[in-house]
Amino acid sequence: MRGALFPVPGHEVLIQVIHVTDAAILGYFLAINTAYLVLVLIAAGDFARHLRRAPFAGYDDIAASPFTLPVSVIVPAHNEEAGIVSAVEAMLLLRYPSFEVIVVDDGSTDATLERLTEAFDLTEVPYVVPGEVTARGEVESVHLPRGGAVPLLVARKRNGGKADALNLGIDLARYPLLCMVDADSILDPQALLAIAKPFADDPLHVVAAGGVVGVANGCTVLAGRIAQVRMPQRLLARIQTVEYLRAFLLGRTGWSRVGGLLVIAGAFGLFRRDAVVAIGGMDPDCLGEDAELVVRLHRHQREHHRDYRIVFVGEPISWSEAPETPLILGRQRRRWHRGLTEILLKHRRLIGNRRYGRVGMLALPFYVLFELLAPVVELSGLVLVPLGLLLGAVDLTFLWRFLLVAYGYAMVVSLAALVAEEYAFHRYPRWRDLGGALVGALAENIGYRQFTAWWRVRGMWDALRGAPQVWGAMSRRGFTVDTGDEDAR
Amino acid sequence: MSSLGLLDVAAGVLAVAGAVLLAVLVGLRVRRQVRQVRAERAAEPHRARLLALLCAEDDERAGILDTLAELDDHSWTALEPVAQVFLGKVTGQASSSLVELFERRGLAERAMSDLGREGRIRRARAAETLGQLRHQAAVGALLPLLRDADPDLRVVAARALGRMGDASAVPALLGALHGRFAVPPSVVVLALTALGPDSQPLVAEGLDASQPLVRAVAVEVLGAVGATAWAPRIALALTTDPHPEVQIRAARALGSLGAPQALEPLLDALGPDRPESLRAVAAGSLGRLGDPGVAGRLGELLGDPVPRVAATAARSMARLGQGGEWELRRVLGGIHGDRAARQAGAALAQAAISKGRARPAGDPTVET
Repeated sequence: MRGALFPVPGHEVLIQVIHVTDAAILGYFLAINTAYLVLVLIAAGDFARHLRRAPFAGYDDIAASPFTLPVSVIVPAHNEEAGIVSAVEAMLLLRYPSFEVIVVDDGSTDATLERLTEAFDLTEVPYVVPGEVTARGEVESVHLPRGGAVPLLVARKRNGGKADALNLGIDLARYPLLCMVDADSILDPQALLAIAKPFADDPLHVVAAGGVVGVANGCTVLAGRIAQVRMPQRLLARIQTVEYLRAFLLGRTGWSRVGGLLVIAGAFGLFRRDAVVAIGGMDPDCLGEDAELVVRLHRHQREHHRDYRIVFVGEPISWSEAPETPLILGRQRRRWHRGLTEILLKHRRLIGNRRYGRVGMLALPFYVLFELLAPVVELSGLVLVPLGLLLGAVDLTFLWRFLLVAYGYAMVVSLAALVAEEYAFHRYPRWRDLGGALVGALAENIGYRQFTAWWRVRGMWDALRGAPQVWGAMSRRGFTVDTGDEDAR
Repeated sequence: MSSLGLLDVAAGVLAVAGAVLLAVLVGLRVRRQVRQVRAERAAEPHRARLLALLCAEDDERAGILDTLAELDDHSWTALEPVAQVFLGKVTGQASSSLVELFERRGLAERAMSDLGREGRIRRARAAETLGQLRHQAAVGALLPLLRDADPDLRVVAARALGRMGDASAVPALLGALHGRFAVPPSVVVLALTALGPDSQPLVAEGLDASQPLVRAVAVEVLGAVGATAWAPRIALALTTDPHPEVQIRAARALGSLGAPQALEPLLDALGPDRPESLRAVAAGSLGRLGDPGVAGRLGELLGDPVPRVAATAARSMARLGQGGEWELRRVLGGIHGDRAARQAGAALAQAAISKGRARPAGDPTVET
């Protein structure tokens, strides 16, 4: 052992503690990455199966069939004047036989409603809100397009948060399937068809389906559609692109296969209306309202002994803009982790409870161990390893190997995710994009992980002390809009 | 082994794994791009000819068809996926030309042979192809696939049978609705509605089936294809069938058929002792029947404690023309209370803004 830089009383005991802790942290890193690798491999298997069956998936039949279940697309909007019109126009052009779009203006202080009124020739109408799901914010007005030719309904309510706006949308929805979409999401034209397919294939069991969310930064948008998929220019967004691929696309596909999918992103999910109404809609008191809804659906279905499925569909994609500054990213990650903590606290009875099957015995313990506690362990490592170095409990030879293995394994998992994406979807066509993704996978371990761990720990702390809920504004750079000029691409 | 040694081994394993994954990543991309370029090069010279075939007049058609049918295997392999995409999208003469081309290239023969071979993917692809080609000779070979253990294969077989238009497949399609290996009802309904008028008597036999799902599907199909001859039998199902799902689909079917026999059973289905979903669907169907004589009864529903029933009744009244609007105004005046008046006001306002225009997306009778 090397000499300590700062000898302290009880030095030997402290050194032993640090030794044990370092080993535990290394073990934890190996376990967490192995768990992710297993999920990635399960997902890759699922993609292979999906690809082989794609030629006879029958999307044309679903698109043409009058018996395809109609969908109510619910778009909560708060101060979205800049993009709401193009978003709704794009949604109205989705390829699907029968659907309506419901925009819930959640007390916007900008001209969101005015923009919609101008674009779609809306007029205010008296409307009886069914009241099957309760929204806290009072409904101020309901608007329909003149002529009745556009299947659009816009409701304006007092500000009550995203979950409350969604609850009003659920209440107003007339169709048996509900698609919840963020106002700033860009959906692929086939997205609705593909995410509705599980409901057509297994109508008695599927109660919810989640769709992939991709990072739109750097992509070219034409007429409200992603025309060219590109890797973002900025490193922070590139890192998130790789992270989304690994955790959202492959991680959730893996969980779906296992039967333990707990998160359907609020940016794009499809639900059976009766199932959502039966549990009272969204929880407006939870910051992670999208995941909370899914956990509550699992809970309700299990407690009522239903044979049900909640699935993830890798094929359709919704594109969202990822934060490009540390400040906004920090807010987002703090909010996400706070939401996760609140959900796990609220539904703690399910954790390790055999009554809830794989959700209780596998998925939730995984989320506690490898999602909730991961930032705590990572930050502990960041504190204890240098401390061990100072006390002489850890030498540099050990340290660099330790870091190489811990972060090298994480990179291998990211590489495996990139391979799976390239094999199944190859959405990023240029070699430059591939290079950008590899840089993102490498850079994720240098600073990004450590900062996100800090923000996540703060989010957990917010939840534990019951700090006031703040969504925070997401400043957006906007997308590259294709003007038809080749040079602009 | 010491901890340092273990870390060295782990780092070595990770380095090898990383290198392999990187090689696979690059290899996958190179292989895909090379294949893509080769396929495009091989298909390019013939793509224009294929388009010409789709637009050809009778006198040019045979010549183009001969040329494409005699393409070398390499060129055809590249062109076939392009032609298959068109097959799902074109109709009429263009579709017939493509089917003939595929038949002459031996695609149907190959698919028939694949149906009997091992491998579910192979068989499902073959079934899909045969369905697209409407290859009648395949009906017998497709029927057993409706009971295959693979759910996708069952669905593809049902779709293919629907496209072929052979009414003899009806009993098997109805039978595929139940049992351990079942086909989703929406797929069976779509297949049955594609079979044509000859299939109606066979579908109607499903009305007497012991399984409620079979009866429900039979009712729905007869309603969707406009089988008015069966309206009395469907009305009987609405009144006497013990299963609510069959009643709901019967109420919806009667609305589609617009038969006069539907009126009384639909009015009975509005009763407060009937299931909520049935009452809502019946109220919607009464609107589709278009008989202003039911406006008074629908007007009473506007104060119904179930919001869906009240809202659907209000919208139905707005579809009844002047008689319906007159009754809505009476309800707006308060004869059935405030709640009913609010529903009437909303329906009148919505009718006013959409006057003269049909709803393009969805049908109000397919509400939850």
